[in-house]
Amino acid sequence: MAEEEKREKREKRRTATKAAAMIGPMVKEFIGATHRAKQEGKKLAYTFICCFYEEIIRAMDIIPVWTENFAGICGAKRDADRFLARAESLDFSRSLCTYALCGIGFDQWREELGEMPPDPPWGGQPRPDFMLSSGQILCDPRNKWYQAVQQFMPDVPIYNLGLPWPLYEDDIEVSEVEDYYIKYIVSELRGLIKFLEKQTQRKMDYDRLSELVDLSERTWNLIWETYELRRAVPTPMGTGDAMNTMVPLVFMMATQEGYNFFVELNKELKEKIARKEGVIEDEKYRLIWGGGLPSWFALKDFNYFNSKGAVFPVETTYRLIEPLYRLNIPETNDALERLAYRWFRHWTYWYDKAKKRPGSEPDVERLIQYIEDYKIDGVVMHEAFSCRTWHLGLIWQLNQLKKIYKPIPVLVLGPNGEKKEENRELPSLILESDIIDISSYSEVDTRNQIDAFIEILESVKKQGM
Amino acid sequence: MKEGIISSVIGPTGAEQRRLANRVMEKGLEQAHLSFSSITYLVATGYGRLNVPFADKQVTEIGCHAKGAAFLFPEAKTVIDIGGQDSKAINIEKGRPVDFVMNDKCAAGSGRFLEIIADGLGITLEEMAELSLKSNHPIKIGNLCTVFAEQEVVGRLAEGAPLTDLIAGIHEALASRVASMAKKLKVADAVVITGGGAKNRGLVKALSDILGHRLLVPSEPLLTGAFGAALLGRDIAHKARSNGRPLERKEGSLREVEVF
Repeated sequence: MAEEEKREKREKRRTATKAAAMIGPMVKEFIGATHRAKQEGKKLAYTFICCFYEEIIRAMDIIPVWTENFAGICGAKRDADRFLARAESLDFSRSLCTYALCGIGFDQWREELGEMPPDPPWGGQPRPDFMLSSGQILCDPRNKWYQAVQQFMPDVPIYNLGLPWPLYEDDIEVSEVEDYYIKYIVSELRGLIKFLEKQTQRKMDYDRLSELVDLSERTWNLIWETYELRRAVPTPMGTGDAMNTMVPLVFMMATQEGYNFFVELNKELKEKIARKEGVIEDEKYRLIWGGGLPSWFALKDFNYFNSKGAVFPVETTYRLIEPLYRLNIPETNDALERLAYRWFRHWTYWYDKAKKRPGSEPDVERLIQYIEDYKIDGVVMHEAFSCRTWHLGLIWQLNQLKKIYKPIPVLVLGPNGEKKEENRELPSLILESDIIDISSYSEVDTRNQIDAFIEILESVKKQGM
Repeated sequence: MKEGIISSVIGPTGAEQRRLANRVMEKGLEQAHLSFSSITYLVATGYGRLNVPFADKQVTEIGCHAKGAAFLFPEAKTVIDIGGQDSKAINIEKGRPVDFVMNDKCAAGSGRFLEIIADGLGITLEEMAELSLKSNHPIKIGNLCTVFAEQEVVGRLAEGAPLTDLIAGIHEALASRVASMAKKLKVADAVVITGGGAKNRGLVKALSDILGHRLLVPSEPLLTGAFGAALLGRDIAHKARSNGRPLERKEGSLREVEVF
C-alpha cells in the first residue's frame, strides 16, 4: 500500500504556472462557499457554463451552482462512476451527456437520502432554490437536464431561456439580422430578471449590473491579453494549465476575484517570458488543442505530451472571449444591450474572415489564425463520445483545415524523378474518449497514440525544407 | 555483412511480456548463431515495447510498420495493419509515417473478432479463410458486437444458412469496419496490408473489394513491424557511424527479469 501511495504521489499532475496550481483549492473553496451560502439563507441557482448572464445573477446576490463544474470535479477525482451508474439505473442512457448523467445521479441520490451521498467530492452539490436552463442553441442537455432532475425536486422551479446567434452561411450578412437578434436577446434577459426578482423578492439594481458589466468587459480584455502572452517561444503556459484557468474565466466572471486571478497570471507569465522559462526546457513541438472538451480524469496526458517535447501554447476549448476592441460594441447605457451585443458579436466574430477564404468556416478560420499566431506544428483534438455539441463537427473542421490550409513545404519526387516543392497539411491527432466516463479511456492506448503522433511530427519536421 | 532477415521468431504474446522478450531474443540469437553482445542496436516495437528491458529504443508500430512496408514495397503509400487486438491505417511518404488512424477501442474491428468466431465454430483461422473464398453470396451480419455476432452466426447456422456464406459475411463485416477506419485517411496506391489479418486470404479479398484497391501482402506479414524496427535500428547505427559519433546505447544485458 505504501508503495502504491508513493507511486501515486510521484505521478501527481504538474502545472507550469503557480496560478493554475491554485485552482484546485480555489474550486474546493467556492464549492464550500455554496454550502455556507445555503446555510445563510442565500438563494442558489443551478446554472450552466457559457450562460453570459453571470452579471445578472451576481448583481442580485444569487449564488450560481455550476452543475457542469461539479460533474467535472467528480470526473477529475475519478469518482463519477457511481453517479453515472445511478443515472443508468434510472433508465438514462449511458450515451447521454455524462455531465448531465453525473449530475442526475448525484441529485437523485441526494434527494433520496435527504442528505449528501456518502463521501461526496468536496462536500457535494447543494440543493438549489431554482434552476436556470439556457440552451443557447448549444445543446439539448442544457434544456433537458434540469427537467430530468426536477422529477426528484418537484418544488424547485426552472426558468428556460436561450440566447441565439445566426448560424454561419457563406453569404450571410450578419449586420442585416443583428438588430433582430439583439432585441430578442435583451427580451430574454429581461424575462430572466423578472423571474429572478420574483424568486428573490428583490428588484434588480441596474447600477450595480452596469458596474459588473464593466468589470466583465475589463476581465475579457485582460484574459485576452494574458493568453496572448503564450505566443512566446518557449511558451510559458500550456493547455493543461488552461484547463485549470478556465475556472475563473467561466465560473468567476463578473467577480473581482476572477479579475484579480488574471492580473496575477498575467504577471507570472510576463516574468516567465523575461526569464525565457517555458513549460518544458526543450520545446520541440508546438501543438494546438484544436477542439473538444478534455477528459477530466486524464489531464495528466498533457504532462505526457510534455515529456515527449510537445507543448500546447493555445487551445480553442474554453477560450470563450474576444477582446472588446474587436467586437466594436455600440455605445449604449443599457447594460442588457451591452451583454446582448457582446454575446452576438463574440459568436459571429470569425464570420467575415471565414467568408474571405473559400472552403473556410468560422471555427476553421480561428484554427488557422491561432496556428499562424502561435507557430503551431500540429493539431490535436479530442472527441468525447457523450457530447455532440462540442465534438460533432470536429472531424469536419479538421478535414476542411487539411483541404484549405497546407503550410508545410516539402520536397517530393515528381513523375519523371524531378524534385519539386509541394505544400502539405499539418499533422493531426484525434483522441477518442469522454469528458466524465472513464470507462471510455485507456491510458496505455492513448499514450501509444501520442507516441505515434510524436514520431509523425518528428518525421514531418525531417522532411520539411 | 549479410543483408536481410537472418533469423525470426513468431509466437503468441501471452500475459507476461518481460520474460517473453528475453526468451524470444535468446531463441532468435540461437537461430542466427549470434551472441547478445554482437547486436549493434536494438529497437523494440508493439504494445509490449516498454517491456523489453534490453532495448536501446522503443518505436511505435506506426513508425515500424511504415518503415517495414516501405522497404518491402517502395511504392507503398498506405499501410493497413490488422492485428489481434487493434487495427490501424498509416499514410507514408518516403518510408515515414505522415498520418495514421487506429481502432484500439473495439475488438470487432480487429483480428480478435475472427478468432472468437472461429473458436465458437470450432474451426481454425486458416479454415475460415478458405471457406469464405468459396462463397458467392455473403450473408450480412447485423451485430456490431463480437459476442452478439458470434451468437448471430451460430443462430443462422442452426437455421440452415450455408457456413461459407456466413464466414464470408463475417469477413465482410470486419473488412467494412477496417475500411471505414482507413478511409479517414487518404487511401492511395500502393496499399500494403500487414499483421495477422493479412494472412487471411478471405479477409484480404473482402477488404480489397470494399476499398476498391489492390492490396500488396508481404511474404510474412506478421514480421513487418519487427522488420521495420530492425531497419530503423540500422538507420540509427549508420547515421552515428557516418557522423563520426558514438552510438548511444542503453546499458543492459540479456537477463531474465524478476517478476513478483
